[in-house]
Amino acid sequence: MKHTFLIARQEFIKYVTRRGFLISVLMFPLWIMVVIFVPQWTGGGSGTAAHRHDFAILDKTGGAYRDAILASLARGQGSANWRYVFTPRDVRDADAAHFPQAAHAALTGPLLDAIVVIPADFATNPHHDVQFWSEDTSDTDFKHFFSESLTDALRLKAVQRVAPQVRDTAIFDVTAFVQSRKPSKGNEAVSMIDSVVPIALAIILFVVSVMNSSVLLQGVVEEKSTRMIEVLLSCATPREITSGKLIGVIAVALATLFIWALVLFGLMTLASHDTAALVVTSLGAIASLHTLPFLLLFFLCGLLIYGSLFLAIGSMAASLADAQSLLGPSMLILMLPNLMINAVVRDPNGTLASALTWIPFYTPFFMMLRISSNPPAWQVWGAVVVVIATTILMILWTGRIFARHVLTTERPPSLGNLVRGLLGRAS
Amino acid sequence: MSDAIVELSHVTKRFGTFTAVSDLSFTLNRGSILGFLGPNGAGKTTTLRMMLGILPPDEGAIRVLGKDIGQVRERIGYLPEERGLYKRMRADAAIAYIATLKGMKHGPALARARALLESFGLGQFARVRIEGLSKGMAQKVQVLSAVVHDPEFVILDEPFSGLDPVNQSELETFIRGLAAEGKTILFSTHTMQHAERLCDRLIVLAKGAKRFEGTLDQARQLLPRRARIGGNADLSFLAALPGVAHTTAPSAGQPYWIADLKEGNDGSGLLAACFERGVPLTHFDVAPPGLHDVFVSLVGSAT
Repeated sequence: MKHTFLIARQEFIKYVTRRGFLISVLMFPLWIMVVIFVPQWTGGGSGTAAHRHDFAILDKTGGAYRDAILASLARGQGSANWRYVFTPRDVRDADAAHFPQAAHAALTGPLLDAIVVIPADFATNPHHDVQFWSEDTSDTDFKHFFSESLTDALRLKAVQRVAPQVRDTAIFDVTAFVQSRKPSKGNEAVSMIDSVVPIALAIILFVVSVMNSSVLLQGVVEEKSTRMIEVLLSCATPREITSGKLIGVIAVALATLFIWALVLFGLMTLASHDTAALVVTSLGAIASLHTLPFLLLFFLCGLLIYGSLFLAIGSMAASLADAQSLLGPSMLILMLPNLMINAVVRDPNGTLASALTWIPFYTPFFMMLRISSNPPAWQVWGAVVVVIATTILMILWTGRIFARHVLTTERPPSLGNLVRGLLGRAS
Repeated sequence: MSDAIVELSHVTKRFGTFTAVSDLSFTLNRGSILGFLGPNGAGKTTTLRMMLGILPPDEGAIRVLGKDIGQVRERIGYLPEERGLYKRMRADAAIAYIATLKGMKHGPALARARALLESFGLGQFARVRIEGLSKGMAQKVQVLSAVVHDPEFVILDEPFSGLDPVNQSELETFIRGLAAEGKTILFSTHTMQHAERLCDRLIVLAKGAKRFEGTLDQARQLLPRRARIGGNADLSFLAALPGVAHTTAPSAGQPYWIADLKEGNDGSGLLAACFERGVPLTHFDVAPPGLHDVFVSLVGSAT
C-alpha cells in the first residue's frame, strides 16, 4: 500500500509539473469560451462586428409582405446588420427564364447578398413557396428570419378575418414557457443542473480520459526505454505499480476538474458581480442531485477503465511508434460514444440507448448521459454491477499484462496470444 | 547466521521455446564481489532480474539474504544497465524517490541524497534535472540511488557501460569502497579488465548455462601459459619444441612471437633453444593467460 501511494504521488507530481499539463488543462475552458463567445463577437449574434447582409425583396403580391418583413426588422427581430436595399432593375424586370442569370449577376456583386422572391399567389397557393436566392445559403438565421416574419404576416391575415382591429404582428411576440417537473422531486421545478451536470460529466470523462490516459501510456513507454521500470519492479510488485499509476491518473483528473471549476467560476465572476451566491447556488444544486453518487461512481470507474486500457497498451508497446499504432484503434473505440451522444440524449430510454448501456466499456459514459432521464431502476443497478465488474477485471488484466509484457522489447503480442495470456494460459 | 547472501539452485528460465537460463546454481557469500561475465544474450540480465524478483524462475529456487526475495526487496540495491531515472526529476529528488520506495522516510531520504551528492562532488547539481546532467554525472546519480538506502546486497548491471576511463576508475573505487563497508556486490560486465581488478570470484555464462565459476587464478589456469619472445629472426622452429603447443608469428600491432605452452611447461626450454641457435632476443616473458583469453575460450567453446 505504501508503495502504491508513493508511486501514485510520483505519477501525480510528474504529470502536473509538465508544462503541457497546464496548457492542455487551460485549453479546454478556453476552447469552450471560444465556441460560446467568438460567434457573438464576430456577428453570430447581434454583435457590432457582424458581417452585413444586404437583401432585396421582390414582392409580387403588391408589397404587403415586404412591409411585414421590414416591420419585423424595425421591431428588432433579426440582426441589426441586415439591411434592406432596393431590388436591382435587371432582377426586377427579368422573366422567369432569365431570373437565375440576373440574380447571379446581382448576388456576385458587392451590393447584394440575398433576394427574397414572394410569389403573387403566396397566400392562396400553398405550393408556391417564397424563394430565398443567395450564393451563401448556409446562414440559417438569415433565412429563418424571413420565414418567421412571413409566417407572422400570414397569421395576422388569418386573425384579421375575425378581428379586423388587429393591425400589428407584434401580438405574436409572446412565448409560452414549459417547466419540467418530476414527481420524485415533489413540487419543485426541475433545474437545468439535473440534466446538464450528468451530460457535462460524461463529456468531461471522455476529455479527461483521453488527455490523461495518453500521458500515462507515454510515461510507461518512457519508463521501459530508460529501464526505470526495472528499478520500480525491483522495489514494488506489478500490481502496486499499476495501482499507483491509476490512482495517480485519477488524482490528475480531479486536479483537472478543480482547475476547470476555478476557471468556470472566474468566467462567472466576469458575467455577474454576485459570484459567491452563484457559486453557492450551483454547488448546492449539484450536491442535492440524487444521482450524484451514481455519477461519481460512473465517472471514477470510467477513468479507471480507460486508464487501465492505456496502461495495458503502454506495457505491451516496445516503442512510442508501437504505442501509436495500438493507440489508433483504441482511440476509435473511445470515440464511438461521442458519435452517439445526440441519439442517446434525444431518446435516453430508447432501444439504442438501452442497448449501448450494456457494452461494458461504454457503460459509464452512456449511463451518465441517461441518468437524469430516470431510467428503470434495474438498468441503473445493473449498470453499477457491470461497471464495477468491468473496472475490477480491467485492473486485474492490466496487472497481468503489465507483469507479462512490460520488460519485453519485442513487438506487441498478437490478439490470440494476448487473450491466452489474460486467461492465464501459456502463450 | 549463514554467510550466503544469494543461493541459486538449479534455476531455469524460458521465454516460449527459448531457454534464457538453464539449470544455473551458485552461491554468493557475504562481503564478496562477484563478476557475472558473458556475451550478449548469455542470460546475465535475466538471472539478475530473477534475483531481484522481477521475473519468476520456471524451475529451481532462489533465496536472497536467506529469504524469499519479496521479503527482502528493501535490503537490495539495484543499478540497471541504462539510466533508470526520470529525466525530468531533479538529482536529489530522483535519489530520494528510490530511497522512499526502499523504505526510507522522505525527509531523511532527501537529506541523505544531498549528502551523497555532496560527497561525490555533485552538490551543486542536486537541484538540476537528470536531463541536464552529463552521462557520467547521471550514472553517478544512478549509482547513488542504488545504494542510498544502505543495502546489504548491491546488484550492478553493466555499471561501466558508456563511461569514460576517468569515470570508470572512480566507479571502481566506489565499488571497492562498498565492499570495504561489508556490502556484497554482484556486477555483470563485458569488460574483462574491470572484472580482473575488482572481483573475488567470477561466473561465466554462455547461452544461459554456467561455463565457469571460481577465482581469477582458477580461471587463468584453464588456459596454458604463454611465452612472448621479441627478435628479428625467424623463430618458427619453436613450434617443434616438445613443450610448445602452438606458435603465432608477429603481426600488425603485435610485435612478438607467441608460444602457447603445454601444461606444466615453464618456458625455460624456449630460451635455451634460442641461445643454442645464437638467436639475438630483444624480449622474453612467460605469463598466465589474460581473463580476456579465458573468456573467449570459454564462450567460444559454447558457440
